[in-house]
Amino acid sequence: MPEKEIQNPKSKTQNRLDFYKITTEPLDVGAIARKIVPASCGAIVTLDGFVRQFTKGRETEYLVYEAYEPMALKEMEKLVARAHAEFEIENVGIVHRLGRLEIGETSVVISVAAPHRRAAFEACEWLIKELKRTVPIWKKEVYRGGETWIEGAN
Amino acid sequence: MKVSVLFFGATADEAGTREIEIDFADNAKAEEVFGEIVNKFPRLGNHKLLFAVNQEYAGGDETISDGDELAVFTAVSGG
Repeated sequence: MPEKEIQNPKSKTQNRLDFYKITTEPLDVGAIARKIVPASCGAIVTLDGFVRQFTKGRETEYLVYEAYEPMALKEMEKLVARAHAEFEIENVGIVHRLGRLEIGETSVVISVAAPHRRAAFEACEWLIKELKRTVPIWKKEVYRGGETWIEGAN
Repeated sequence: MKVSVLFFGATADEAGTREIEIDFADNAKAEEVFGEIVNKFPRLGNHKLLFAVNQEYAGGDETISDGDELAVFTAVSGG
């Protein structure tokens, strides 16, 4: 897959520090978190989601992520806007990686900055749950002797 | 009218293609068009499918217009 990075084509969110993107490049978790920290915040919660080696007893060799890219960006933008409406937070950063990912490599980072930690934890949990339900990205699990596209619960 | 239909992941494997263009009567409802796509690629019926019209989730009532971008995919599994 060629390298690519698509970032907020036309953001409708008001806050200048929000961002969301999808990329085939490795993710730097700390750098993503630092991008969204304003002076008014006292807490940042960052989810580092990475490729798990064992799922229900089966050993994964690697994963391949694919997205319906323009729609994925639209859905990520909606998530950021909804998170701002529902939680007392300042900024959100979401980055999802695509392509082949090895065991332990970060596939998704969600970082939320807030004046107080509780809202940051709650918003981060809500964002990953909603991302897994609404953003059109799929993972193919490759294991010894086979491969399968994972279909979400929704 | 002509519309393009995109497939991803499992639906691309089942359809054996990532994109097709199909002809359809003007002002068709989304559910008719998606029904026709599933008839054309019966293996899609092995999956619980989600549909999108112009990069928005579609419930089926949408009226499809010439040049629309449709998509057929399985429940998402990012993260």
